[in-house]
Amino acid sequence: MGYDFSMKKLIAIVEDEPALRDNYAAAFARQGYQVKTYANRRQAMQAFAAHLPDLAIIDISLEDEAEGGFDLCRELRVLSAGLPIIFLTARDSELDAVSGLRLGADDFITKDVSLPHLAARVAALFRRIDALKRPDDAAEVVRRGALAIDVEKMQTTWNGTPVTLSLTEFWIVHALARNPGHVKNRQQLMDAANVVLDDNTITSHVKRVRRKFQQSDATFDAIQTVYGMGYRWVE
Amino acid sequence: MSIRLQLLLIALTTLVLPWAGCEYARELETTLRKSQESSLQAAAGTIAYALAAEPQRVLRDVADTQPFAADLGDFYVYPLHNEPLLDGYREDWGLTAELSALPTATDYHARLIAGSVDRYLFLYIEVDDARLDPEPADVHPEHDHFDRVDLTFQWPDGALQAYFFATAAQGLIEAQTTVRSEDGTDHAAPEPRIQAYWRQNSHGYHLEARIPRSLVGGRLWIEASDGGGNAKAGFLGSDALRGGRMFSLTAGLSQRLTTFIGAGTEATVVDENSFKLGVAGAVSPTSIEGQPAAGTTWFRRFIADDTSQWPLQVVTPDRLTGRDVSAALEGHGAAEWLRAASNQEALLSVAAPLLINGQIRGAVILEQAGDRLLDLRDRALEHLFDLTLLATALSLSFAFGIAGWISMRIGRLRQAADGAIGSDGSIRSRMPEASRRDEIGALARGFERLLARLNEHTQYLRTLGGKLSHELRTPLTIVRSSLDNLESEGVRADQRGYVTRAREGILRLQTILSALGAASRVEESIKQAERVNFDVRALLVSAVDAYRDGFRGARIELDTPPDACFMRGAPDLIVQMLDKLVENAVDFCPLSGTIQIRLRVVAGNYELTVENDGPPIPTAMLGLLFESLFEHRQGVDDKPHFGLGLYIVRLVAEFHAGRATALNRADGSGAVFVVKLPLV
Repeated sequence: MGYDFSMKKLIAIVEDEPALRDNYAAAFARQGYQVKTYANRRQAMQAFAAHLPDLAIIDISLEDEAEGGFDLCRELRVLSAGLPIIFLTARDSELDAVSGLRLGADDFITKDVSLPHLAARVAALFRRIDALKRPDDAAEVVRRGALAIDVEKMQTTWNGTPVTLSLTEFWIVHALARNPGHVKNRQQLMDAANVVLDDNTITSHVKRVRRKFQQSDATFDAIQTVYGMGYRWVE
Repeated sequence: MSIRLQLLLIALTTLVLPWAGCEYARELETTLRKSQESSLQAAAGTIAYALAAEPQRVLRDVADTQPFAADLGDFYVYPLHNEPLLDGYREDWGLTAELSALPTATDYHARLIAGSVDRYLFLYIEVDDARLDPEPADVHPEHDHFDRVDLTFQWPDGALQAYFFATAAQGLIEAQTTVRSEDGTDHAAPEPRIQAYWRQNSHGYHLEARIPRSLVGGRLWIEASDGGGNAKAGFLGSDALRGGRMFSLTAGLSQRLTTFIGAGTEATVVDENSFKLGVAGAVSPTSIEGQPAAGTTWFRRFIADDTSQWPLQVVTPDRLTGRDVSAALEGHGAAEWLRAASNQEALLSVAAPLLINGQIRGAVILEQAGDRLLDLRDRALEHLFDLTLLATALSLSFAFGIAGWISMRIGRLRQAADGAIGSDGSIRSRMPEASRRDEIGALARGFERLLARLNEHTQYLRTLGGKLSHELRTPLTIVRSSLDNLESEGVRADQRGYVTRAREGILRLQTILSALGAASRVEESIKQAERVNFDVRALLVSAVDAYRDGFRGARIELDTPPDACFMRGAPDLIVQMLDKLVENAVDFCPLSGTIQIRLRVVAGNYELTVENDGPPIPTAMLGLLFESLFEHRQGVDDKPHFGLGLYIVRLVAEFHAGRATALNRADGSGAVFVVKLPLV
């Protein structure tokens, strides 16, 4: 991987469930990260004000604050625009809330995710940070008509305009665009995004992706629903 | 038993009224009879008392208390209505009475009957003497032997007067007396005032005699004797001066009685031998107030006393017998109900003793038609019956109406209760009749409350899965992340089995939780679904293609209209619904079976039908199939089945303002799921 091992990355975990918090901390420590854990928004903000972590994993409901994670994310974005933030949610329905709030989180995943998967996503995010820091090179870029996907930086553009996608959304678009015309069913999309979601959540992810593209191009309809099977990318 | 029938039975109890009327009428009848008895008895007593004041105008001989003795020659003189012809026949006497035998010591038989009209005493004597011993021409009555009938009268002063009848040949004759001439010889002298007709026949002779009243004394002895021997019958009481009394109606008594009685009453006075002394009036069949008798009204048979057991009236011309008469002659008044000899009608007979000088010398008997007062009662009862029958009919129809109304309301309530849980599992808690203030209304309100509670409970159960799923998710994540860590730390080969098993357990738990929470997730996502215009037909064609790839075992047939079928809705949801229906159909379809998917336009709806061969759905399940977490299948695989599929079908159908229903094919060869989606 292309980042500096001498300087250990600091991951902040804000989670009110101690057992879960400690499990995540142990997993990331084993991966060679430096981990700091916080049980609530107040503790976390105090620490963040003094020293920003390299990545924050935030639970949405924190102790007595049902949506404390959202507030924390907003305050953190004020401190740093580029800090990678991953939302961990217990409820599928919260995913919609997160995306709807457009808080600038880089990914949101349910707690069903396994630790290796979580670690892989964290690593991916760091890789993207690193790639963004490097100057443009002819890295692996997938082009499909107006679409350009920079796999290294995990960046997507449509007609040259960047489209901000969460990590999950990025993998979905990537999986579809790599083989245009091929139908990808929901399971395949889940595998590509390394998430365990139910069918409805995939559907709403796809819907959100379409909406994000349509913000830059109202005529966008490259992602087609094949009823009963899944989705395909059409050029 | 239906309410209608029960109320009808209750209404029938109004028939108790006529029954009570009958009972009342019976009592009334008894009372009326009693009062008739007592009033008649009072009348009889009064008459007896009045008559006792003048015994000589009642009795033949006040001093004579000897009982009637036929063997001493006593006989009764019947009153005759018309003067009979003197012809040797008694058919014109108008009497049904039998002749009475004259006492005899030999086998020479003679019989007598006596009658009287105003001025005459009639005698009719039959003598069994086939051979006529004629009277000689110049007769010596005391020495000659010939067939003769001797009459001996005794005057009240004790003087005797004898006559005899004899003839040489059949014909009209005169009585003769024996006169003694100066020479001591006896001759017969005719007495032309006493006439008779002597009629001879093969058995003997009949003698019909007419005697003026003026020649009749107090007693009369009659003797018939054979001219050919000593045979004789009858009694020459002049020897002993006993017997020979003539009992008959007392002159003038009948007229006197008439003054005592009213119309419709027959009064009879008898002596101590029960012989009639005076008769007046008649038991008229006409009722009071001159109206004709009502006859037998139809209900009388229900209420009238049984009169068939009553003794039949015995009508004899000479005597009046009966229990009441016997009782009166023993000294106490009595009443007796009889059936009239003529027409079987009820007849009341009362008797009061006739006391003369402290001795019972006879009785006064009054007879009256028993039904006279009953006619009045019958008319009143007839009204009562009409009224009660009218009341019964009214209350019957009223009860019938009420019963119909009540059972109709209960029927409506029952129907509403039956249909309260719809075939799609929805609960309608509104009940008819709930606004009524009576018990049925209360019942309906009770149903409403029950259904509302049931609805709350169902809602609670619906959300329970989601809540449980959410609450269990965190501990599950803790376990799994701990396992992840454990594996990352390195697990010994001999320990790996446990970790694998723990993971399998977690996986299963996760599947269960996912299914439990699916309902709420689906509801959530359905709420957020967007509606667009799309072609259902194209969607079906595309989806069915996918199913044919996905479910290779089953034959899936699609039948759609030829043209595009646009509707407004969420195509994703429609596909999801179809997924569930097809999954369900595949689960139940046998290997060689067919799944038929059909889209039709029926009455303003798209009707989407998914039909599969296979076992029919148990009838009891039909209404529950679309409930959340309802599962009637026994899983053949290890996957947990929570029956969410059909719940999603229902949610999607309802999102599109449609309805999902399940039914079985009529021949039981499979199940049919129908989703109706409005065109607009």
